[in-house]
Amino acid sequence: MISIKRVAEAIHILSAFWVLVIAGIIFVDVIGRNLFNTPFLGAVEIIKNSVVSITFLQLPLAIYSGGMLRTTLLYGAAPPFLQRLLRTLANILGFLFFLGVAYSSWEPFLEAVAINEYEGEGALRVPTYPVRLLIVLTSVFAAIVYIYLMVLDWTGRLTEEHGGDAARVKGAH
Amino acid sequence: MGPEVIIYTFALLVVLVVLGVHIGIGLGVASVVGVWLAYGDLEIALSILGSTAYEAIRSDALAVIPLFVLMGEVLSRAGAASDLYRLCDSALRKLPGRLAAATVVGNAAFAAVSGVSIASAATFSRIAYPEMRKLGYDKSYALGVVAGSACLGMLIPPSVLLIIWAILTEGSVGALFIAGIGPGLLLALAFITYNVVSVLIKPSLALNAPPVDTAIKKPEGSTGLTLSSTLGGLGVIGLIMLVLGGIWQGWFTPTEAAGFGAIGGVMIGFLKGMSFRDFLNAVIDAGRTAAPIMFLLIAGSMYARLLAVSGGTDMINEFFDSSGMSPFAILIIMTIIWLLMGMIIDSISIILLTVPIFVPLAIAVGVPELAFAIYGILIIEAGLLTPPVGLLVYTVKGTVPDKTVTLGEAFKGAIPYWIIILIVAILILVFPAIATWLPSKTF
Repeated sequence: MISIKRVAEAIHILSAFWVLVIAGIIFVDVIGRNLFNTPFLGAVEIIKNSVVSITFLQLPLAIYSGGMLRTTLLYGAAPPFLQRLLRTLANILGFLFFLGVAYSSWEPFLEAVAINEYEGEGALRVPTYPVRLLIVLTSVFAAIVYIYLMVLDWTGRLTEEHGGDAARVKGAH
Repeated sequence: MGPEVIIYTFALLVVLVVLGVHIGIGLGVASVVGVWLAYGDLEIALSILGSTAYEAIRSDALAVIPLFVLMGEVLSRAGAASDLYRLCDSALRKLPGRLAAATVVGNAAFAAVSGVSIASAATFSRIAYPEMRKLGYDKSYALGVVAGSACLGMLIPPSVLLIIWAILTEGSVGALFIAGIGPGLLLALAFITYNVVSVLIKPSLALNAPPVDTAIKKPEGSTGLTLSSTLGGLGVIGLIMLVLGGIWQGWFTPTEAAGFGAIGGVMIGFLKGMSFRDFLNAVIDAGRTAAPIMFLLIAGSMYARLLAVSGGTDMINEFFDSSGMSPFAILIIMTIIWLLMGMIIDSISIILLTVPIFVPLAIAVGVPELAFAIYGILIIEAGLLTPPVGLLVYTVKGTVPDKTVTLGEAFKGAIPYWIIILIVAILILVFPAIATWLPSKTF
């Protein structure tokens, strides 16, 4: 089961560096356009799709490490048993939500493949199915992470690294 | 079911949020339930999940969030906040309550590279608080200035709140950025005035502060103003000029400025001798900060869709229209709702929940859009300083290297800043030009 964390970390790091690549593309695009009159072709399309991809690739680790925003108004005042029930409710709804996202993204993905859905004009046409597939896969994975957290919780293996607000504040710099 | 569905959905949302469900998840679940109730078809209800997940943040304008967060993380790992603090400290050496004023100015400068308040609060808790205590500053006074001036982070661009507000209202991110500068400087000036005046009235607040010249001298090996930190501080100020000046002068779109900012941040970081390990951690932490924000944007769009398809927005607008309330009363109601919500949930969620409803109302009663945005962000930020869930105050208490600090002392110290923020917010409603003048010169 340890691999869930590893996978979440791996895709998180991959997408974190992807942000740097975007910065590089913007840099090349602006310099190229203004100094050499040669813009980076398709920069906007790449950036648009990257924003979605990066976010979904980073969500599993954010969920795993307690980075999702919530209020601790009631939670903080509750006794430990009730706290566990509240965490379970949060995890079940998180699981259902991402399952819903994956389910409702599946049809549009199949359709995008079937009709060869593209976007963009002229020479640069970007297919839409890769990002659609990525949303399905990362959402399924996010749902699994929520279930995994629940299992850890009920088997007494939930630790500091899974969040709680103290941990989040500490990690926030 | 008609527009009243929005009332049930909102009640469900409040229950979920209070129960501690992740706010984005709560928004998503409530939206699905709402559309289900409105159309009586679960398949249609679920379809908003998939379509919003794909469409909501698919925009090159939104790349500004991960990019600016990255710039802030890298610079903060490289010690930029500490550099700025030293630089301000030595520039302000004649001022009573010098370290408090330096904390405010340092925060204002750091705010210009960082998009989130929490980061500023945590950083200055570690740098500025111990220095102030060493010189005998009053505990609450020192805690208050760290928590209070962190609010500048959300007002001075690049700010995540400004970006989200602009995107939700389909306004210009660049214009809102520039609109934040004037009010941000005014707020900083008001904070400093408070610092100086309160020390003049009650010198015991900054007692034992040794004569100015000896206070500047640091023992060897300490983190005083060195060549590296001077260059670091000046480098960061240069980067700020490039990024904000570039947007203001129209050289860059915000996205381009964010790209340059991120690259420039990494360059300054490495020039200052940041290790590769620190760089790696900064990149990873940036992702950890940005992803939940982006997710909230997706979930917020789901909720906005529900508001639109159920006719909820129209219903609320008609209610206020037909109530015959004065513009003043409507503004008061909005302000109270924001202050109350600020006690419970984070700023981004408040903006997502209220802005789609409040902005049309405010425009209808004649408040300029940019000024209203700045007013709203100030009020929402003030909520971060109040109990029971004043996030900035908790962050300060959690990160100061002083275990004797109590939450009560921190909240007490933050009260004057809360009041100042409200005063500045009202000033902006009365004199909207504070916010609108600078952008009117370009946009």
